[in-house]
Amino acid sequence: MGIINFAPKILDPIPGGKYVVNAVDYVVNWARANSIWPLTYGTSCCAIEMMSSSMARYDIARFGSEVFRASPRQADLFILAGTITKRMAPAIQMLWEQMPGPKYVLAMGACTISGGPFIYDNYSVVRGAQNILPVDVFVPGCPPRPEALFHGLLTLREKILKETCRNPWQEGYPEDVSRVDRYREAAKAWAELEKIKDEEMAEAREKFKAENPDYKSTFKPVRVTKEAFPEVERPAAAELTAGELSQADIFGKIKAKFESATVDEAILATASSDSPAEITLDVKDYFAATEFVKNDPALKMDYLIDVTAIDYPDHFELITQLRSIELGHKVFFCVPLPKDESIPEEKRATSLLAKVPSITALYPAASIKEREVYDMFGIKFEGHDDLRRIFLDKDFVGFPLRKDFTNPEMIKRPV
Amino acid sequence: MSMTQLPPGFKIIRDENSEAYSDEFFVNMGPQHPSTHGALRLAIRMDGETIVELVPHHGYIHRGMEKQAESMSYLQYIPMSDRQDYLTAIQNNLGVVLAYEKGMNVGVPLRQEYIRVMLQELGRIASHLVFFGCFGGDLGGQTCLLFGFKEREMIHDILEEVTGSRLTMNFFRPGGSRFDVPDTFIPRVKAFLEHLETTMKDYERFLSKNVIVRERSIGIGVLSKEDAIAYACSGPVARASGVNFDVRRNNPYSIYSQLEFDVPVTYNGDCYDRYNVRIAEIHESMRILRQCIDKFPAEGPWRSKEKPVKLNPGRYYSEIETAKGLYATYVVAAAGDKPYRIHTRGPSFPHIGVLNKMCQGLTVSDLVTIMATLDPVIPEIDR
Repeated sequence: MGIINFAPKILDPIPGGKYVVNAVDYVVNWARANSIWPLTYGTSCCAIEMMSSSMARYDIARFGSEVFRASPRQADLFILAGTITKRMAPAIQMLWEQMPGPKYVLAMGACTISGGPFIYDNYSVVRGAQNILPVDVFVPGCPPRPEALFHGLLTLREKILKETCRNPWQEGYPEDVSRVDRYREAAKAWAELEKIKDEEMAEAREKFKAENPDYKSTFKPVRVTKEAFPEVERPAAAELTAGELSQADIFGKIKAKFESATVDEAILATASSDSPAEITLDVKDYFAATEFVKNDPALKMDYLIDVTAIDYPDHFELITQLRSIELGHKVFFCVPLPKDESIPEEKRATSLLAKVPSITALYPAASIKEREVYDMFGIKFEGHDDLRRIFLDKDFVGFPLRKDFTNPEMIKRPV
Repeated sequence: MSMTQLPPGFKIIRDENSEAYSDEFFVNMGPQHPSTHGALRLAIRMDGETIVELVPHHGYIHRGMEKQAESMSYLQYIPMSDRQDYLTAIQNNLGVVLAYEKGMNVGVPLRQEYIRVMLQELGRIASHLVFFGCFGGDLGGQTCLLFGFKEREMIHDILEEVTGSRLTMNFFRPGGSRFDVPDTFIPRVKAFLEHLETTMKDYERFLSKNVIVRERSIGIGVLSKEDAIAYACSGPVARASGVNFDVRRNNPYSIYSQLEFDVPVTYNGDCYDRYNVRIAEIHESMRILRQCIDKFPAEGPWRSKEKPVKLNPGRYYSEIETAKGLYATYVVAAAGDKPYRIHTRGPSFPHIGVLNKMCQGLTVSDLVTIMATLDPVIPEIDR
């Protein structure tokens, strides 16, 4: 604040000086409270509502905050729009440090209050912005409507108006609230409110009865006619168009080439082109079979939908989903990968338990998908030239989508 | 600088003795940057003004939805899909619900099918209008942002009246939806279409023929057809490169097979084509909506009798065409009321995978244009 902080010391002893200080305070605060410049920052859904609020319909300019600054050095207000993850938290703190004071934080949405929908069984979300920054205003909602954001802005305005040069802005401190279960707290507070309300209502009822002993209610419950709904059959799967192969044909072609290919016959009979039968393959045939379906002129599986995996107690299962853009059929390969038993029990959680050849040479799109499977399951892809973690930090311990994954930060969902 | 000294992800090895080599440096874009459309970090290796190589770093908004899904009931996962791609929330809902319906073996009445298709198309227009705004905004024309959001608010008024929520709808359920549509739904959509018809003309005149837009987007960020298929691009990005693929036509779900619409395809694969495809898709969506208004059953049930909550054990796959592209849901159901595993294939993830290929040899300002026309939503990549 500079010189204005010393104004009271100099002016207060002078007769009438207090009024001068108060008047200056009033003008300065009026200017500050009506021109809060927010930082352009948003991670997820709340950012879109923040954008909506600055557009023509809601027009945040009415509150003097339309100047969204991309540089933290020009911003007064940090609207935390969206979920904060542990990976993003250091970046957010850095942005906060770069902002010049006096600066304020408005936490927008449920995620920044408590973790919101991501509070339970989660290993990556920061439960509440308070853990990393001192927050001035919380705006609840998932996401909050623009009106709610404006209410938050006006609340912040009130807070700024209370700051005088005798009581200037001070930087707050973050506090650890990550283990606070706000849902249960809120439920408890709500139950207490309900109890008070019930007591008051009971009292009022007694009083009313005592005052009007002959009163009889004319209220009759209206029974809404119950709508009846029919049972609807699932429509039959779309018929194969000309030139399209049935799932049995595709399986026959692959079986002729690769002995290890098996399929559930019951599923094969009913499989439509929409949800194809899953062909189980041996690991040693996986790369060759993928190459075969890609290059075979009758199959032409040129498009990789996805590579993912499932963790079963004794093995992983790699799912590779392929389709043909031109011919329109799909094939799903399931590759069971036995878990490496030679790794000692205490090291299993942090080591790669299975390996499989990479198909990046055939499908460049598989590169990022395989990195995701590596990151989440700890499956090694042999021949992948850039196998790094993709979503988690490189020093993250464990592989989250394994069923036996544990993390000290996780809170179990109450049943 | 040897290969071992390059930061992770960078692969191109250049001649150390060449003259250009001395100008090489690294630029970090994001995770907080207005043009990365969310929390995405791009590490860019530059040679003077030219981009040599680009490595995207994901995970700044990785929220562990797939892990969480394993401890939720099936229906509890539907609101999670809203929060993946929040611009097409209503479409993601349908993607998840279609997979569930296969596992639950329920169908939906005709009225519900029309409700679904109409909300899909309204959601598609809303998402493309945000693209229109952000594309203009990223090129420096903030007015477009105001225009795009103006019409989008009208769609969200309709969606809010139907679903009760502005952004994260959580509307569809296996066998139907949460509510029936109100009587005002059809008149409001009709009025909106009439309005959009005229405004779209203005908007196209405003941006499509703008000299600056054309200079900055024609021939920039060219994606060939082979690359588009090899890198698994979908939606308008692939269609702008000549890949004639749309799930609504190639693998019709709901009642798309009974409706008449074209799939706009262009062949240059540059930023301007991607813009044009999306504008053409708005017109096709309007065409679908008009057909639906004519055929909409005024009477009849809007949901099926059953309200199942469990899937039969098995594996179920569904795919839909959202405004961004192919959105596939893969559900592994075991006994019990919780999924064993749910996996989502979002359309934006492969698009960021091909970004490096598209922007090599261009400048950072071109990269901003390319990012705008890829129209990625980062939370749907990271999940």
